[in-house]
Amino acid sequence: MKAVSIFKEILLFVILVLLQVLLLNRIAVFGLAVPILYIYFLIKLPYGRNRFYVIVSGFLLGIVIDIFLNTPGMNAAATTIIATLRSMVLNLFYPKNEYEDLVPGIHTSTAAFVKFTVMMVLLHQTLLFFIEAFTLFNLTSTLIRIGSSSILTIVLILALDSLSIRREKSG
Amino acid sequence: MKNLLSFIIRNSSWLIAIGLIVISFYLVFSFNSYQRSVYLTSANKATGWFYEISDKATAFIHLNKSNKLLLERNARLEEELYSLKSYLSDTQRDTLTTNAFLSDSIPASRFSFVPAEVINVSFSGPNNFITVNKGSIHGVKPDMGVVSQNGVVGVVLKTSPSFSVVIPIINPKFRLSAKLKNSNNTGSISWDGKDLITAQIGELPKHEVFQPGDTVVTSFSRIFPKDIVIGYVTGQILSKDDNFNTLNLRIATDFYSVRDILIINDAHFEEQNELENSIP
Repeated sequence: MKAVSIFKEILLFVILVLLQVLLLNRIAVFGLAVPILYIYFLIKLPYGRNRFYVIVSGFLLGIVIDIFLNTPGMNAAATTIIATLRSMVLNLFYPKNEYEDLVPGIHTSTAAFVKFTVMMVLLHQTLLFFIEAFTLFNLTSTLIRIGSSSILTIVLILALDSLSIRREKSG
Repeated sequence: MKNLLSFIIRNSSWLIAIGLIVISFYLVFSFNSYQRSVYLTSANKATGWFYEISDKATAFIHLNKSNKLLLERNARLEEELYSLKSYLSDTQRDTLTTNAFLSDSIPASRFSFVPAEVINVSFSGPNNFITVNKGSIHGVKPDMGVVSQNGVVGVVLKTSPSFSVVIPIINPKFRLSAKLKNSNNTGSISWDGKDLITAQIGELPKHEVFQPGDTVVTSFSRIFPKDIVIGYVTGQILSKDDNFNTLNLRIATDFYSVRDILIINDAHFEEQNELENSIP
């Protein structure tokens, strides 16, 4: 764990939280689809980052989002579970490798990254919406919410990631 | 003992994960009720301050529209004032005796208003809340009604010294008694969570006649004055219950653009509440 990469991660954390609470959460496409981009933080952690760090940062991310959005515990629960499952999902799509600092990205292995992103986002949204909808809402409306929000989030993440590669190349 | 320790060390990340997940779910089930903590909501100082700054930036963009709405409202009030004045002068001109019935001062109004500004709206899902920039030091208390220029917004849920969280119509926990403008049967406003512009009025008797476009207003409530607009009827929902009608209504307040609101302070709220609660 290098200091530079930790600093970059903290910066990403702050930017994603700001984006989520100031902009994205005020968007509801057709009153249904809400882009939930902050999960991008967990996707972009290096491959070999220790599990303890991933889980605790996932929890912190969720709880900060919760405090801003008045939904105590919901995002925290979903994000902590996702953080716990992250290494397993990662192992599903990425071959075991020795590069500990490898950051999953669209430029290294497109297919694996897309699959990994889709899996993470789907899991996260499913957890989030079911925790949120616990008793009040009918199944079809919840499923439509999950589907539409997931598609929007996945598109956003892939777009964001392909933007970041261009910057790295030029800079 | 040694085995136990090594077990804990080996599985520390799993234990941490389970611990944090339990904490999260504890928060979900203990805070997502009416008794929310101010500390973990946007009414706390840090997040409130933060939202206020971001809001000031966006407020500038909306100035034009707010200004126009205020002017319109001003014009309406001016008109009303003029007609009342002319009426008064007419009656005074007619006969001197009316002066005897005129009180020398205007009686204190039952309702007073605290103007406030919306600094955050969260409507990402079923749990929608609005944060406004007036709190207990401005005299805002829980259970006060909140209206915009167009109609009912919601009810104050929690206050901190300088911010309050409002539970809007578009929250499944919101309930309010209401009626159609031209009738006396009361029903109850609720929200089914489907979209942000439609609410439902239920528990209306079957014989109630309605037209699409009819105005739905507040009926007797301890929170709102009578006859404040809530929305306009758009249609009927086929109800499973045989004795009551449920109607869809378009909410008068536009939650996408609501900015300037008034918090209603009912001078008699405490007294009425006390009296009603004193009955065993």
